Amino acid sequence: MAEPAAASAAVRGAASELLRVEDLCVHYPVTEGVVRQRQVGAVKAVDGVSFSLRRGETLGLVGESGCGKSTTALAVLRMLTPTSGRIFFDGEDITALSGEPLRRLRRRMQMVYQDPFGSLNPRMRVRDLVGEPLVVHGANRRSPGYRKRVNELLDLVGLLPDMGERYPHEFSGGQRQRIGIARALALQPDLVICDEPVSALDVSIQAQVINLLMDLQQELGLTYLFIAHDLSVVRHISDRVGVMYLGRLVETAPKAALFARPRHPYTQILLGAVPVPDPTVESTRDQPVIFGEVPSPRNPPLGCAFHPRCPKAESRCREERPQALPMGQGVRVACHLVGPQARQ
Amino acid sequence: MALLDVADLTVTFRTDGGLVRAVDSVSLSVEAGETLALVGESGSGKSVTALSILGLMAPGRIEQGRIAFAGDDLTALDEAALRAIRGDRIAMIFQEPMSSLNPVLTIGKQVAEPIWLHRRLAWREAYAQAAELLRKVAIPDAEARLNDYPHQFSGGMRQRVMIAMALACRPQLIIADEPTTALDVTVQAQILSLLKGLTRETNAALLLITHDLGVVARYADRVAVMYGGRIVESGPAAALYGKPMHPYTEGLMRSVPRLDGLAHERLPAIPGQPPDLANLPTGCAFATRCPHVHDLCRAATPPLRALGDARSAACHRHG
Repeated sequence: MAEPAAASAAVRGAASELLRVEDLCVHYPVTEGVVRQRQVGAVKAVDGVSFSLRRGETLGLVGESGCGKSTTALAVLRMLTPTSGRIFFDGEDITALSGEPLRRLRRRMQMVYQDPFGSLNPRMRVRDLVGEPLVVHGANRRSPGYRKRVNELLDLVGLLPDMGERYPHEFSGGQRQRIGIARALALQPDLVICDEPVSALDVSIQAQVINLLMDLQQELGLTYLFIAHDLSVVRHISDRVGVMYLGRLVETAPKAALFARPRHPYTQILLGAVPVPDPTVESTRDQPVIFGEVPSPRNPPLGCAFHPRCPKAESRCREERPQALPMGQGVRVACHLVGPQARQ
Repeated sequence: MALLDVADLTVTFRTDGGLVRAVDSVSLSVEAGETLALVGESGSGKSVTALSILGLMAPGRIEQGRIAFAGDDLTALDEAALRAIRGDRIAMIFQEPMSSLNPVLTIGKQVAEPIWLHRRLAWREAYAQAAELLRKVAIPDAEARLNDYPHQFSGGMRQRVMIAMALACRPQLIIADEPTTALDVTVQAQILSLLKGLTRETNAALLLITHDLGVVARYADRVAVMYGGRIVESGPAAALYGKPMHPYTEGLMRSVPRLDGLAHERLPAIPGQPPDLANLPTGCAFATRCPHVHDLCRAATPPLRALGDARSAACHRHG
């Protein structure tokens, strides 16, 4: 049952690069006309995103709705084909992979979804839900190995073996998310993409699921791409954090650096907008209020996409798009007013 | 006397699984100009409590209790009298700004309607006031946007419209049920600052229902924590966060990751699941998850006791 790829994951060491994304673009065409359709524009959901992910590491991707964080995840999973850019998984270019090689790749990357209610088939028993990925990839449902593996998976996420006989509706949100995690782990993936895995859960249950994800990472050497809008959760679980705005990564940094010293004006405003659960801290905190809302990705502003809302914007920001440049210590910022760009 | 004084409110729902007590002996009060946050997880009874104040708890039934608003007992009023109060002296803002706006009416008509209805102004004047209100909630180009339909507004802009409607008749009490849960964090900050500023300006009372402990810390004066249909703790925000008296409040505060906390450590999670209201254990509803549980907790429900300094908690430890 064991997958050779995953079994050797730990052996290859934690420092090697598992995923690299270079200048990724996902543009959706906007068409007009019924009989003869012609393209009149494009929604640039992801527009030039680059990052890399080492084995055993967690990269948090944060940003507001429509910033392209989920589309980035779907492109990495190759659930959609990028418009341009390249994606490397474990050294192999997977940007244009299709057919059987893509199918084989898929068992090495899995996804945990946000909605534990909509993502589980209500007519399947939990045992079959958890075992489904194994069956899809050729396991025999009647073999003793299959049954043992399903029990292992249930145990791994803190569910009892007899719970496998029940249906999803008999479980609470937190338990359903455990089922979703067990499904994602069935094929012993290297990379797990978590798309808002706790945001649909009650506050007292979120901590349980965050702990479970962190324990599993330690135990199995997993690599996470963790997508969330809740910065407190991202800060807790991530090693590095990428902040997205309107299809672009505006800042990438090790967690400690990003939260202690956010450099991009958007990151600063985003952090300031998150209330801390402590009235004493809140009463003394700067609360910069940002004006306006995220513009449509169909007509992004020229220059820096953030400039219409940026309190520091200059004429240059309206004309020229800033590149994400390294600032040292693993920090990359795309802003004309930060680092070497500012001095030019 | 407080503007709103809810005493011993119990609301039940008849279901296939028997009688469910969604709200059980809840007492709370809000003063003019004050923000009270009602905190709890899904199924804790916080929304039903809020809806009951407006008489909108159907098919639930108020089993017992009194809801005094500016001296009147709202539970004793008939439907017509309640309708005269709703949207006028008490306004409500819901979580889903999309489903609480009528998709086939222009924004102008929807904002002007409560003014026309309650203030008995000519339609033209009500419409003019609607434009003024949209300006007040910082909707750009307010005059022109009166003719737009809800789908032409973003989520944040729709919630601004809801606030404009709520403020239309200068209510004494605003009930906001998870007003920013569906919104992005920068928009959440805009909306809540706006709401807080406007209530301060009119000295209205704000009953803010939320599950977000950060939002409570930033905006509330006092806090009431609900669990399993009951209030388990209440008190001034700073004191309650500084030293929670109920084990549930304490557990909740500790389990939430925070921007200024220790990162990458295991979170001290509360074990177990929130209780099923249809199947509450006898005694304290939190007993199954409580680190301090003893025999008395499983036998008798602890009443909400005053502990001094305007604080109270429902826990046998403070018996």
